[in-house]
Amino acid sequence: MSSKRKKTIFDELKALLGSRVRADDMELQLYGKDSSVLSGVPSTVCFPLDAEEVQGIVNICNRFQRPFIARGSGTGLAGGAVPVGNPVIISTAKMNKILDIDLEDRIAWVEPGVLNLDLSKALKEFGFHFAPDPSSQQVCSIGGNVANNSGGPHCLAYGVTTSHVLAAEVVLPNAEIVTLGGIDPEPTGYDLRGLFIGSEGTMGIATKIAVRLTPNPPDVRTLLLDFADVSDGALAVSAIINAGIIPAALEMMDHNAIGMIEAFVHAGYPVEAAAVLLVELDGLSGAVEAAVETIKDVAKIHNAGSVRIAKDETERALLWKGRKNAFGAVARIKPDYYLHDTVVPRSKLVEVLNQVYQAADKYDLIAINVFHAGDGNLHPILAYDAREPGILERVHSAGDAIIKASMDAGGVLSGEHGIGLEKRDFMHLLFSAHDMFTQDLIREAFDPQGLANPLKILPSGSRCSDSFKQHVPEGVWV
Amino acid sequence: MNLGTTERQEFAASVAGTDLVTVVGGKTQWGVGGAIDPNARPISAPVGIYDYTPSEMTLRCGAGTTIGDIQNKLGEHNQMLPVDAKDESTIGGVLAVGRSGIRRLRYGAVRDYLLESWHADHEGKLVKSGGPTIKNVSGYDLCRLLVGSLGTLGFLAEVTVRSLPIPRCSQWMTGVCDPFELQSNLYRPSSILWNGIQVWVLLEGHPADVAREAEVTGLSECSGPPALPFAGRLSLRPKLLRELPQLYKQDWVAEIGVGLVHLSLPINNDQNSLSTMTVMRDIKKRLDPTGRLNPGREVF
Amino acid sequence: MSKNFKVSLGIDEDALASCVSCGLCLPHCPTYRVTQEETASPRGRIALMRQVEAAGVADDTFISFMDACIQCRGCETACPSGVPFGPMMETTREALADQTSYQPRYRRLGYSVLGMPRLLALGSRLIAVLQRLRLIPSRLALPRIPLRQTKLKASGDDVWLFTGCIMDAWMRDTHAAVKRVVESTGAGVRLPGNEAGCCGALHVHAGLTLKAKKLANKVIEAFPGTNPILVDSAGCGAQLKDYGHLLGTTKAAAFSSRVFDVHEWLAENLDKLPKINSDEPPVIVQDPCHLRHVQRSHEAVRLVMNQYIGTIELDDDGLCCGAGGAYSSLHPETAAEVRTRKLESINRSGGTNVVSANPGCMLHLQQAGVSIQHPLELVDSIIARAMKRE
Ligand SMILES: Cc1cc2nc3c(=O)[nH]c(=O)nc-3n(C[C@H](O)[C@H](O)[C@H](O)COP(=O)(O)OP(=O)(O)OC[C@H]3O[C@@H](n4cnc5c(N)ncnc54)[C@H](O)[C@@H]3O)c2cc1C
Ligand code: SF4
Ligand code: SF4
Repeated sequence: MSSKRKKTIFDELKALLGSRVRADDMELQLYGKDSSVLSGVPSTVCFPLDAEEVQGIVNICNRFQRPFIARGSGTGLAGGAVPVGNPVIISTAKMNKILDIDLEDRIAWVEPGVLNLDLSKALKEFGFHFAPDPSSQQVCSIGGNVANNSGGPHCLAYGVTTSHVLAAEVVLPNAEIVTLGGIDPEPTGYDLRGLFIGSEGTMGIATKIAVRLTPNPPDVRTLLLDFADVSDGALAVSAIINAGIIPAALEMMDHNAIGMIEAFVHAGYPVEAAAVLLVELDGLSGAVEAAVETIKDVAKIHNAGSVRIAKDETERALLWKGRKNAFGAVARIKPDYYLHDTVVPRSKLVEVLNQVYQAADKYDLIAINVFHAGDGNLHPILAYDAREPGILERVHSAGDAIIKASMDAGGVLSGEHGIGLEKRDFMHLLFSAHDMFTQDLIREAFDPQGLANPLKILPSGSRCSDSFKQHVPEGVWV
Repeated sequence: MNLGTTERQEFAASVAGTDLVTVVGGKTQWGVGGAIDPNARPISAPVGIYDYTPSEMTLRCGAGTTIGDIQNKLGEHNQMLPVDAKDESTIGGVLAVGRSGIRRLRYGAVRDYLLESWHADHEGKLVKSGGPTIKNVSGYDLCRLLVGSLGTLGFLAEVTVRSLPIPRCSQWMTGVCDPFELQSNLYRPSSILWNGIQVWVLLEGHPADVAREAEVTGLSECSGPPALPFAGRLSLRPKLLRELPQLYKQDWVAEIGVGLVHLSLPINNDQNSLSTMTVMRDIKKRLDPTGRLNPGREVF
Repeated sequence: MSKNFKVSLGIDEDALASCVSCGLCLPHCPTYRVTQEETASPRGRIALMRQVEAAGVADDTFISFMDACIQCRGCETACPSGVPFGPMMETTREALADQTSYQPRYRRLGYSVLGMPRLLALGSRLIAVLQRLRLIPSRLALPRIPLRQTKLKASGDDVWLFTGCIMDAWMRDTHAAVKRVVESTGAGVRLPGNEAGCCGALHVHAGLTLKAKKLANKVIEAFPGTNPILVDSAGCGAQLKDYGHLLGTTKAAAFSSRVFDVHEWLAENLDKLPKINSDEPPVIVQDPCHLRHVQRSHEAVRLVMNQYIGTIELDDDGLCCGAGGAYSSLHPETAAEVRTRKLESINRSGGTNVVSANPGCMLHLQQAGVSIQHPLELVDSIIARAMKRE
């Protein structure tokens, strides 16, 4: 065999990673999907073990002008990790070590593939946790949290990921390794850390992350309020905030949600109720107790059927298990779901919720609402069976109506799931062409070649010097 | 049309041109980042609170509105903006400088309080970033980039910030103790200051909790924090503060748990690696190609 | 490149559609935990089944992905959508065994021995002798098999004790201890004859459903009457409870309804257990997957144990230990990696002694140096010591 074949990108990756690079058709398809309804097919999947390997992969991608996409646990709900343009998938799943827990600085350095809940579990013995707690926390990765600036029930009081990430080591799209931010309070220069968080892998790949440790509260009380009328529940949300209380979490679930959750957890959720509020108060006992009393009053004024207070940690955990597994439990109603993530002013909750139900009725779909009510962060789920002919058009029409209703109410497109591939064509509802042009200018400073997770976040049109201009290929949508 | 729309449009128009421009706020932190080119044409940002719904805990106002006015307005509904800046500072100035107040230990960095912004870019065009709701991840987080950028990337015209309820009780305590131990004995105190000898701690919350925690500190009540030296400012990882007494004999006050040191000596630090500077320079070049926005100010 | 071959898995369409790809099961899957790869995750395996079902063809890669599943069913209890993963995997393996060369002759032969008590006893005796002569390399990691087995004797006919195959051949002392604890409640224990033999669990896992059905029929015949049938091996118990579904007959369903894990039965009879004050240090409870994720009756173990001794919980949410019936012999490396996680969890727990209500888990963990017993062996020894003192 004398003829020297030109080395392919796969050959080079193979030389770098050995058996940790794959291109088996079946396997590739598994990396074509996240938890959204979108899918594509990558050309290759890589499993690097450290920043240098990520750098090596990105270098190779640069040489071959091949797009690359970071993937954490693949639980994204907006198609952020869904491959477009025959990319190389860089799975961070094997980079899952907690590198250092520094109790004095109250930070931990972790690799991006560390699972959110694994981190909090590891911190437990020291009396700390990582505050952002997406409902997917048992499986989502810290890298994914950073990329999506994820939130969670407890972000009402504690803030979303950006408030809890101090620094990140990042492999830039040109394969340089840099550290953004710092573990000191005022790092010099522009807040590139803040810019990177929420950039959904389009500005590089985080390979090491410094997270802030939050002390576990000395006292926690979890309450469940049930309502015979959804509007009463929504009004109670505003009333609680108006009373000067910022609960650690303030979650709402409607009738459909309660049914499917209860079928899974058997936590005694009131399946008859039109809606329940799950309220958590934490902190020092004086404040917590006072807040419990205030909430009981609010409950009375807003016609709550009852106020159940979790009597111990087991009951509390069970109530939360129900809430946190809600999206996953949808298949108990229908095998597929399409989920939005808009945020509206709290005062508009009742109005927008009604429009959600109307949209579902109009297109003969089932709407399930389980959401971060305290933040006004709606998660209307449209449950459907993809095998039904013509159903997707209806799902999309209803989705469009929901987005429009939210925008009309002065809301935003995404509260925590990100824009990804799924919501990017709605961006114009929120931003002018010039706004998006400016965003793209900044993205380009990081990635002039457009290789890092291309075509996500911004609609194609907003790219100015898109060397990798591509349209979303056919079939990627659902 | 929305309240404030005309104001921000007029402001943007006043930025347009090819000359050097600078936006002037309350001049309370005017020196930060170096002297402005004297040829720069001064303009000022719109003033006025356009929108405040207490139950949303958000407030929208012109970037030239003073912190005093904002705090007064919020105070009417028992809310506040935890920034601890001087009354005459403007919100735009506070955000552009990006320095948090001494209650950062509990309330976090000032950058986290900016939800939505309109800024005028180098061509005098308005750019909106972020969103008016407490939570939002729609698009790139330009708000974070603008905070602390000293107006070198664009001039804030209008901002929406988030507010918090004023704690029912606030109490400063002082005395001599180990501030690091104190920090681990308290649950989320609002501030712990230390000058190498004396400690000040701010407890906030429900009166019963404040009383109980006050007892834990073993310190005595006082009326407020010490005056902070302002000639120098160090940003250190929190645990390095332990070594301060060996490093500086001079006047300093450190924010325990945060890592900031206020000094009477003009000492500042700088620690970004060169490669990040490349991206920073590139961003500056893209957003202000001719360098006309706040010429003279150096962010890095 | 492996060859494609035609295959039809025949998985229930609704079951296949019911996975919403949320990924919540991933951290509860032992093989995902050690590989961090989708191909070794429940979500991935379901997606692979969908691919094959849609295409009607599979290849050896697919078989290897399916074969790497421990069938611990941890994903099932974790799944909020109630995806019936266990049955889906069993159907898949049945189809593969029927339609492909998934189960080669020699493996089938091995599984057959389990259904032949005399042969198994003979073989085991042989191994025991060879072990004494140090002719069996220890890297085979076989447990030390007793040379002589005490014969169990019936003590009445209130309840049956299911004795099974391997366990009866290799660990009869455990049966004896369990039997004594059951008897301590005043109940008489009846034993099946030799014809009861193997429950067929391993056969179902291997996709050898036909063989499993044959064994099931034999077992059912061996337990006449209506008295409860107590099982002290979680894997066997789960299988016996599934006969109704496996055979689809009313007779089988009636049989299954009589089956209890021995702890379940004891938990219903706590008041009849001897009252003893003991000051034993607490013991770690390791939940066998087939007790926790399939029978879902792991709490009963604690109820019984707590009559005599405190229990320590592991912090891994019932993640599999890697034993998985025949899995640890077929995939020794993965099984050992999975076990390492369990060992770490045991280390973190602060305890030292472990109890586990399944022989497979006991053997697998014992090989890694864990001091482990069947829960009722421990209870039996506590009761015995107390009796002696009196
Ligand atoms: C049941 C369920 C509940 C959920 N609940 C919530 C919730 O309450 N709040 C919430 O905010 N989200 C929620 N999500 C969405 C999702 O879990 C989060 O967005 C999560 O942060 C994604 O993490 P991941 O590891 O799965 O990332 P992936 O889905 O793998 O990737 C997400 C994005 O991050 C990028 N990325 C991943 N790792 C890196 C890295 N190291 N560097 C750069 N970019 C990277 C990817 O390219 C992609 O764009 C939920 C999802 C599910 C399925
Ligand atoms: S099996 Fe269940 S938990 Fe796992 S991905 Fe599918 S629906 Fe989610
Ligand atoms: S049965 Fe066990 S090994 Fe198999 S997919 Fe489920 S959790 Fe993983």
